[in-house]
Amino acid sequence: MMRSGWLFLSVLARALEPAERDVVLGDLAESGEGVGAAARHVLGLIVRRQVGLWLAWRPWLALLGVSCLAAVSLSRIVFRLNVDLYKHSAGYATSLTAAQEVAFLLLLACAVMVWSWTCGFVLGSLSGRAVWLTWSVFYFVVLDSAWVRFLRMGHIFLPNPHTHEALLDSLPGTLRLLMAITLPLSSAALLFAFPALVGTHAGARRRRLTVHHAYLMASLNIALALLATWSTGWYDPAHLPARWPGVPWSTRVLPSLLVSLPAAYLLATNSVIHATQGKGTSSRAS
Amino acid sequence: MLGEFEYLLLSAAARLGDDAYGAAIRREIEGATKRRCAVGALYTTLDRLEAKGLVTTWMGDPTPERGGRPKRMVRVTARGVQEAKGFFGAVSRASRGLSWAVDPVKVPS
Repeated sequence: MMRSGWLFLSVLARALEPAERDVVLGDLAESGEGVGAAARHVLGLIVRRQVGLWLAWRPWLALLGVSCLAAVSLSRIVFRLNVDLYKHSAGYATSLTAAQEVAFLLLLACAVMVWSWTCGFVLGSLSGRAVWLTWSVFYFVVLDSAWVRFLRMGHIFLPNPHTHEALLDSLPGTLRLLMAITLPLSSAALLFAFPALVGTHAGARRRRLTVHHAYLMASLNIALALLATWSTGWYDPAHLPARWPGVPWSTRVLPSLLVSLPAAYLLATNSVIHATQGKGTSSRAS
Repeated sequence: MLGEFEYLLLSAAARLGDDAYGAAIRREIEGATKRRCAVGALYTTLDRLEAKGLVTTWMGDPTPERGGRPKRMVRVTARGVQEAKGFFGAVSRASRGLSWAVDPVKVPS
């Protein structure tokens, strides 16, 4: 086999576990297969391994629960943070003081970072080697679903003014669409992507938090969800007094609750493990 | 009960004895069936057999003809031998009295 052929095969085989990669490439070298046939063999094994991963429930929970459900809510929050940051930097006039504006933006930025880390951790711990797919879906849903939502809603006219996008009515339509399309390049995207990536890496390596860390993360998620709900109660009316006639807290809290679902999962699994270990200890003691 | 390919793999590994590893098992299966054996099918089946406790595998030494890469050595366990015997017995009983089992010459090529 030519050197370039081996190089191609080596790159292709990186999708396999390191130990299996060496064994398979060694088998193919020994049998003297051509590049085409060898690539088919490697591809076939990669496909079988990936399909095998999806026979378990965990990657499905990661895909549906985090990459789809939580990610859609996180996308809305990241997008509104992007718009709020833009408005603040553009000197958008409101009835709020500068301190109130900064406090709200800092709170939302912290919330995005914590939620992103938690989502990433659960994604990494549940996905195993399927993480490349669940992570890609998660990333694209968070950063690229904003403009899809805009197109689906007819770009400008909103069916429900009690949504976060209603805040954007103060901006020109083309600017709103442009902000949605360029969201992946924004500073808000960085506040999402970096913690999410770190969380995914930690989740893939550690799989589980200690009970104390799980309680801490869940408490932080819930506290930020409540604070974000409370603060949008005075921030949003100040930005859109005419079009924001007192949105009920139950509507405002929903995105925060959905994005906190991974934290609830962390808490639930750790509580179950803690209870099981407690039972084991007490039965051994008796 | 074993699947057909699982039985082929166990038989090949048992025949090779101490020299049973991925590429050699593949050659044996291709020689016996006169059909191509996919590396993907071989290693996923090997994992399944190992999970069932019918074979044990370990990493062998690297050799120059493999570009310095190790082999995945295979040994059939006592339980694997029992399962293979059971499969062969079932196939033999199921084939009893049938024309292709009575006269091997009539086996289509």
